Amino acid sequence: MSCTLPPEILDLIVDQLHDEPTTLEACCLVSKSWIPRTRRHLFARVGFDAIEYPIESWMETFPDPSNSPAHYTSSLSIRNPQVVTATNADVANWTGTFHNLVHLHLEDCGWANHQALPAPFFGFSPTVRSLRLTSTSFEVFDFVCSFPLLEDLALADLHPEGDTAVRSAPPTSPKLTGSLGLDARRGIRAATRRLLDFPNGLHFAKITVSCLGEDLESATDLVSTCSSTLESLNISCFLRGVFHSTSLIGRYLTTPRERSHA
Amino acid sequence: MPRASFPDLSKASKLKDLMFLCGGTNINWITAALRTVGSKHLQHITIRLHTATLRGTTEEMDHREWQDLDRLLVQFWTSHSIRPRLVHSPNSVGRNVRDRAPSFLPELTRRGLVDMVEHSPPLSLRLRRGWLFSLCMGPLFKLHLFV
Repeated sequence: MSCTLPPEILDLIVDQLHDEPTTLEACCLVSKSWIPRTRRHLFARVGFDAIEYPIESWMETFPDPSNSPAHYTSSLSIRNPQVVTATNADVANWTGTFHNLVHLHLEDCGWANHQALPAPFFGFSPTVRSLRLTSTSFEVFDFVCSFPLLEDLALADLHPEGDTAVRSAPPTSPKLTGSLGLDARRGIRAATRRLLDFPNGLHFAKITVSCLGEDLESATDLVSTCSSTLESLNISCFLRGVFHSTSLIGRYLTTPRERSHA
Repeated sequence: MPRASFPDLSKASKLKDLMFLCGGTNINWITAALRTVGSKHLQHITIRLHTATLRGTTEEMDHREWQDLDRLLVQFWTSHSIRPRLVHSPNSVGRNVRDRAPSFLPELTRRGLVDMVEHSPPLSLRLRRGWLFSLCMGPLFKLHLFV
């Protein structure tokens, strides 16, 4: 006697296992009809690392974008995106598969060598609403503006030295109505200036800033600009010598979207 | 017009949460920022205590600064019914800071208007990003300085 569960009941059962990856992997092998729902949870959060989990191995595993589970991914984390060895065309194809992405985190974006992000990463997915960038250079502001629906922005370990050239303000910018996290142990003045130049202004409801004492004026400018929308303000202000040991807090700057995923 | 060296919150009419961490001895900017609060929706004021903040509180000037803050926070209680939270780390340094609270915020602590809260980041984060390393390096760094 065959017994089939109604799909909505099956979905409910699988949803209960959303934070148990091992069980989900086992469920994924039960039957073809179980695959879409389990994949939805298994691939909700995906992370790439240059050494352990390179992007290239994903491309090899899922060569056909139409069969790729990337469209289940809502949160994507990439460490050291510069080391992508695939051609720009391949990466562009690959990025196009993540069309339901909500949160994007790029870590170690190569500020030490002033490397720019590969072009296909710009506008990675138009649905991205939350962006977190760590260890990055000032190329980042053009990158930020390539996400039209962006609401939450977190920048940590921003390196100001790369911004020696005079840059024009980007032609357009996202609305930025969510949260801003800014932690720059080397100073936030230049970063603040670039943010204040955004043509569509800043409308953050939540601001979290870790800065040096001499940069408090810059934090003040950010607060003044967002004062009509501001609901939550968190300012950490350090003496130069004290900052280094405590500013690790800033490395955990998370956006509300990220916390809701956790 | 010179720029203010403290956040002007007079126009932030939707403000609900405020949190300050001062990693230096000057706390005037916190008091000045709180004086500008114009929001009727403010619900929480949190001040994270750092050892560097309290390092110089024995000096007269610093005491006066803390007294100003103490008085202002008491006013927030009487006018807005806001109980400020003082957050400290759960280690011995943090507890030392907590124990010294009555000396730098006397009125607030005497009237029991302050909540002392221990806070540390989630263990998963600490393990993932070397937080434990930084916890170990803090005391080592201090030891090195005092030797």
